Amino acid sequence: MGKILTRMGDGSRVEMTAAEIQQDLEAAAQDAAERANVPSLTDDEIKYLLDLYKCKDRVVGVEEGKECCLTYDNMTSKIKRAHIPISKIQQLLLFERGLGADTLELAHIDYSFKQCKHVVQYEKPNMEQAVLQTIAPIFYGSMPNLGLYSVPDGPVANPGDMLPLGKIEESKEAFEQMAEYAIKDMVYVGSELYEKAGADGINFDTTAAAGDAEFYAALKAAEILHDKYPDMGIEMGMSGEFILGLHSEIEYNGVRLAGLYPQDQVKLAEQAGVTIFGPAINIGTNESLPWNLARSIVFTKACSEAAEIPIHANLGMGVGGVPLTLTPPLDALSRASKAHVELCRLDGL
Amino acid sequence: MSEKIFKEAIEAILKGDTDKATDVAKRGLDEGLNPIELMDKGFIQGINQVGDLFETGRLFLPQLVYSAMAMEKATEIINAAIPEEKALVTGKVVVGTVEGDVHDIGKTIVVSLFKANGFEVLDIGRDVPVERFIDQAEKFGAHIIGSSTLLTTTMAMQKQLEQELKKAGLREKYKTIVGGAPVTQRWADRIGADAYAQDAGDGVKKVKLLLTA
Amino acid sequence: MGGIRTAGDLVARLQLNRGMRIDAAKKYVAEKLGVSVLDLSDTVVMSEVREELDIGRVNETPAVAKGIDAKFRIAELLDLAINCVNMFKERVGIRAYQSFD
Repeated sequence: MGKILTRMGDGSRVEMTAAEIQQDLEAAAQDAAERANVPSLTDDEIKYLLDLYKCKDRVVGVEEGKECCLTYDNMTSKIKRAHIPISKIQQLLLFERGLGADTLELAHIDYSFKQCKHVVQYEKPNMEQAVLQTIAPIFYGSMPNLGLYSVPDGPVANPGDMLPLGKIEESKEAFEQMAEYAIKDMVYVGSELYEKAGADGINFDTTAAAGDAEFYAALKAAEILHDKYPDMGIEMGMSGEFILGLHSEIEYNGVRLAGLYPQDQVKLAEQAGVTIFGPAINIGTNESLPWNLARSIVFTKACSEAAEIPIHANLGMGVGGVPLTLTPPLDALSRASKAHVELCRLDGL
Repeated sequence: MSEKIFKEAIEAILKGDTDKATDVAKRGLDEGLNPIELMDKGFIQGINQVGDLFETGRLFLPQLVYSAMAMEKATEIINAAIPEEKALVTGKVVVGTVEGDVHDIGKTIVVSLFKANGFEVLDIGRDVPVERFIDQAEKFGAHIIGSSTLLTTTMAMQKQLEQELKKAGLREKYKTIVGGAPVTQRWADRIGADAYAQDAGDGVKKVKLLLTA
Repeated sequence: MGGIRTAGDLVARLQLNRGMRIDAAKKYVAEKLGVSVLDLSDTVVMSEVREELDIGRVNETPAVAKGIDAKFRIAELLDLAINCVNMFKERVGIRAYQSFD
C-alpha cells in the first residue's frame, strides 16, 4: 500500500505510511492514558482508527442508528462573523430550518457573561422572539471568562501581575474574588434568560480557560441555577483536557480542581446539576492528526464511560482531533466526529 | 557525594524551596563540585521535572513560581562561580501579549518558566502595541522578542511586528518567537518568525535553540 | 441528527432538560412518537410523522404548527415541560396542561 494522505495538527497535508500512522496512534494513546490515569485504546480501537485513515473517502460518517445531537457555541455570531448582515433571529432560523441544527444558541457577540450582563435587557427580547419562532431547544450561551474580572478590565488586582512577583497568597485571594464576581454575573444572566425570556437552558462555554478558579465559578453558578430552576438545561463545555491550577488549591464539594482530567471533571459537573457536559481536548499542532485523534479519544472515552449525563465532546478548530485552522477541513472533521461518536459512545458533539 | 548534592538540588527545585536551593548551591561549590555540572545534573534536572509535571497537570502555577524563584537564586550563585567566558547560556527575552488582546495567563506561565530556566525576561504585559515591543527590546538589550496572542483577530499583530522590525532595519538584530492558542508553525513560517512555541515548555526549548543558533 | 428535518430537536430536548443519554432519549422519543429508533434519523419518515403530529417541519404549509405552536404539541407529546411554552401560557392566562399540573 502506498502512503496515506492525512494532515498535521496545523492543517498541513502530510503523507504517512500505515506503519507510521499506527505508531502515532499507539504512542498518543499510551501517552494520554498515562497522563489521565485511564485505560489506553484496545488493539481493535487502534485498528478502527487506522482503517479510518486508510479509507480514501473524503468525507466519512457514523453508521446508521448512531446519529447523535449537535450543540453549538456562539451560534448567533458564526454567520455574522463572515460579514453577512443578518439578525440573530434570522441566524437561528437559518441554523434550524436550513442547516438542520438539533439545538440553537442565542449569544452576544462579546461572548462573556460579564459583557452579556450589560446587554441582558436587550438579549431578553431577542430570546422572547426566538422562542416564539423556533422549534428546537434553545440555549443562551457565553463564556465565564474570569480574566475580565481583573485589572485592567475588572475590579480585582490581576493575579498575572502578582504571580511573577511571588505574591502567591495575594494572587489566590484575587482569583477567589474574581470567582465570586463571575458567579454573580452567570447566575444573573442565566436567571434572566431562563425565567423571564423562556430559554430552555444555559451554556457555559470554554469553561476553565482561566484555570481552577474559573471552573469553580462555573460549577457554583450551575449549582445555584439548578437549585433555583430544577428543570433548566445546563451545558458546560470545557477548554482543555486538564484543569490548569492557577490558584491550585480551590475545591468544589471537597475535591481539588487543579489537575482534574475529563473523567473527574464530569462527576463534579453532575453534582452541580449540569445536564450536558463537553470535554475539550486541545490539539498538538506539531503532531499528526492520527496522533491527535487517538489522544482525544482516550480522554473523551474515559469521560463518557464515567458520565451519567450526556456527553457532547468539543470538536472544531483546534479541539477533538480537528486541525487548528479557521476553516476546518472536512476530511479531518468528519473522521474526528465519526471516531469520537463510535468509539466513545457519545451523545452529541 | 556529588550524587547526593545533585539529588538535593533536584528536590529543592521540585519543592520550590529557595533557602534549600541556596544552601545546596553554596554547599556544592564549597565541596568543590564543578559549577556547570552542579547546574546540569542538579538544578536543571529539577526544573525540567517541574516543567513536565506542570505540563501534565500534576504541578500548578504557584508551585511553578516558587520553583522559578528557587532556580533563579541557584543560577545566580552558580553563575557567579563560573568564569565569565564559560557562563551558562542565558539570554534576554522580551515577552508580551499583542495589541488588542488582554489575555495574559499563558504569557504569565511562559514568563515564569523562562525565568526558571535562567533567561532574563522583561514582561511588557498585555495589549502591547508593536512599537512598544520594539522600543522595549531596544532598551532591554533583548536577544529575543516573544509575542503571544489568544485571538484569531489579533494574530495579524505578530505579522505586523515582523514587518515593523524589517522597516526599522532591526529584523536581523532579534530572533522572534510566536505563541498563543491559534498560532501554529504554519503561521510562524508564513509571517517569517524565527520560531513557534506550542506551550511554555516548548517555548523554553525553542528559546534555547534560538540562543545557540 | 438533523434537527427538525428528523427528530433531532426532540432527542436533544430529553438530553438537555432531563439529562438523558442518547440511547435512553432516543428510545423515549421513539415510543412517544410510535416509531422505531432508526426512524428518528430518517428524514422521509420523520417528515411524515411530524406533519401528522403537527409538531413543525422544514417545509411548512399554511395553517400548520410553527414555532411556539409546535412546541405546545411537543410538550404534550413528550410529556415534557418546555419553559417558553409554560411562560407563554402564564403570560396569556392559559391554564397549564394537565400533564404539568
